[in-house]
Amino acid sequence: MAKKFTLWTSICLLILIGLAPVVSMFIQSLSVDGALSLKNYEMLFQSRREWLLLSNSLELAGATTLLTALFGVPLGILFEKTDLPFRRLFAILFVIPLMIPPYILATAWFYCLGRDGYAAGILGNPIGNYTSPFLFSLGGTLLVMVSALLPVFIILTMTYLRMINPRLEEAAKLSAKWSFVLRKISIPVISPGIFLAAIFVFILTIGEFGVPSSLHFDVFPVESFIQFSAFYNFNAATAAAIPLGLLTLMLLIIERLFLRKKTFQLRLTREPMIIVPLGKSMPFFLSAVSIAAFILVITPISILFIKSFSLRAYNEAFIQSTDSIVRSLLYASAGATCLTILGLFLGYLLERKSLRFFFAADSIAIFLFTLPGTVIGIGLISLWNTKVTNIIYASAAIILLGYIAKYTALSERIMAAGFSQIPRSMEEAAQIAGAGWFRRLSVILIPLAKRGLAGAWLVGFIFCLRDLDITMIVYPPAHDTLPVRIFTLMANSPEEVIAALSIIMVAITLLPLGTLALITKYRG
Amino acid sequence: MIVKIENVSKIYDEVPIVTNVSLEIGKGERVVILGPSGCGKTTLLRMIAGFVVPDKGGIFIDDLIVTKDGKNYVEPEDRKIGMVFQDLALWPHMNVYENLAFGLKAKKILKNERNERIEKILEKVQMTEYKNTFPGSLSGGQQQRIALARALVMQPKILLMDEPLSSLDLDLNLLLRKEILRLQEDIGITLIYVTHDRDEAFSLATRIVVMKRGRIMKTGGDKTGTSEEISGHL
Repeated sequence: MAKKFTLWTSICLLILIGLAPVVSMFIQSLSVDGALSLKNYEMLFQSRREWLLLSNSLELAGATTLLTALFGVPLGILFEKTDLPFRRLFAILFVIPLMIPPYILATAWFYCLGRDGYAAGILGNPIGNYTSPFLFSLGGTLLVMVSALLPVFIILTMTYLRMINPRLEEAAKLSAKWSFVLRKISIPVISPGIFLAAIFVFILTIGEFGVPSSLHFDVFPVESFIQFSAFYNFNAATAAAIPLGLLTLMLLIIERLFLRKKTFQLRLTREPMIIVPLGKSMPFFLSAVSIAAFILVITPISILFIKSFSLRAYNEAFIQSTDSIVRSLLYASAGATCLTILGLFLGYLLERKSLRFFFAADSIAIFLFTLPGTVIGIGLISLWNTKVTNIIYASAAIILLGYIAKYTALSERIMAAGFSQIPRSMEEAAQIAGAGWFRRLSVILIPLAKRGLAGAWLVGFIFCLRDLDITMIVYPPAHDTLPVRIFTLMANSPEEVIAALSIIMVAITLLPLGTLALITKYRG
Repeated sequence: MIVKIENVSKIYDEVPIVTNVSLEIGKGERVVILGPSGCGKTTLLRMIAGFVVPDKGGIFIDDLIVTKDGKNYVEPEDRKIGMVFQDLALWPHMNVYENLAFGLKAKKILKNERNERIEKILEKVQMTEYKNTFPGSLSGGQQQRIALARALVMQPKILLMDEPLSSLDLDLNLLLRKEILRLQEDIGITLIYVTHDRDEAFSLATRIVVMKRGRIMKTGGDKTGTSEEISGHL
């Protein structure tokens, strides 16, 4: 009974915090002067600009997905399945951009390719006449989005490769060379992972606000934000957000149908993976990966370092933003803790299928994760901006609700993976011995799932810390976080201060990861 | 000799798995390597296939050095070996025809010959009507037959089988043993079969090799010793 109550409470919380705002926003968009009307949508679809925005959004998302797949899958294979030297180091290096807000990468590229950027400084001023228009176009936006989201393909390719039954590849290796085995066996078997990555990259790109906004590339989330913050036209903002929501829902349904049909023999295996020897091609692959790492990761981060390389810049950065840094850390910690607790119960529900509605809860969490942050933000305001709930709307609680709405899917899935490693019999043995639900939870499940809990907290912390899209829309006065502060300072602060703030942002994001890596290393 | 194993040893994480094993196998023989779990029999089989490289010693196939002293000289795909794995390892995204055609395509066998060989082998394992079926829709026994057909369609000189019947119920196990014997006699292929089941070993082998703790405890010429003798070594 206690177990059912806890799990039902978790589902209800997810619905109240995540789904209710989106539904409320949708209902409000159908109302004009208190009457039911489709006027907002008529206005939306009659405007030429909206169709241009939709086409820009789809173009950007499609091209980003294609390019990240083209580079990400081979890189994932090289890092996980071959004897490429320094492959672990490369994998870590390529994943770093995912940890930092993408618009910081855009800022770095601006310092490099802008009209008066480093490229123009080194190669001569005329070059800036070419690089700057490139950066402020689909091409530049693509460059930033690809470097920010390439890790999604790399991580999922590596993870799914790790789950292939090695015998499938060995059976093929009895009659074929590695290139043939990879093409015909390994890649088709991990295709659900590649497809999942494609869906994620597409959805994350189409919902991205920071990068297109920084590079003046007009897309739907930017329009939503402008309608909301510049024109205070809540209904127009909502109407502009709905196509993104519908698109997300459609992609999610396709993903579910496709993955359900195509789940091959993938499982967590303790057997060592078969490593493909690169042989004579090693120097070629090593050079190609090094060049890609230099362009996509080392260049933007080094530029921020070089740009901010003065004590004055860091001093100024701290003077302007110490309060935001502290708030960012506090809110991200609180958000990660809430996410871990909710993820613990929802992950248990998903893995153990304890209630009939486990699939619905998971679908809601995934839907919210894939929904653009601006949509969730507007939804939260539409639900909580009332006299009765002003205590939530006007406090940091609204930011936390945004984090929970958006990122519960991450902690839920991590916890579900953790629970899948704990045999049911362990909990059943405690139950037979007379332990109630909360005792089983505290004495058996939580201690055994502590790695999953730590992972869920850490991932939650990183995603809350880097969040711009939701926080930018919902933050009450004097509650801005560091990503929001950097974004708002960009227009009128010296470049070296912005670069210093970006480096601080990168450092505080990577700090917990480094700490965890050290703890793991020393504990073996 | 078609397979000659000379003093091979393998150590994993400082634990010796196979120690100084030597064995010679003649053309057309049915050798069963029998031993308890963890005795190194699968590792020995995987060394012959080329998936595990012995730290010491050498393996010769048809008088050609395929591996010696920690180095593979011939890749698995060039050893002319077929293998049936314990979990069968049928490719789930390919239907029966595609599973069988994979190796033939890799070896660039022309389409006509490819189809002919597939038809022929499917007939031999009595699975012709399942050509377009995916492995997930086949029963355990049918999957076994397809795994066997996939190995044999490549016309290998040696067929390796790693406890392929261990997950089947007794009736199906007995039926498939007979089919393996029939096919082996029909094709005349050399069979190296790994199992921990004594009955299976006795029903299939022309020679039984008993392994324990990484070493060969007993090997004989024609049909090794009595059941009691073998029990003494296990």
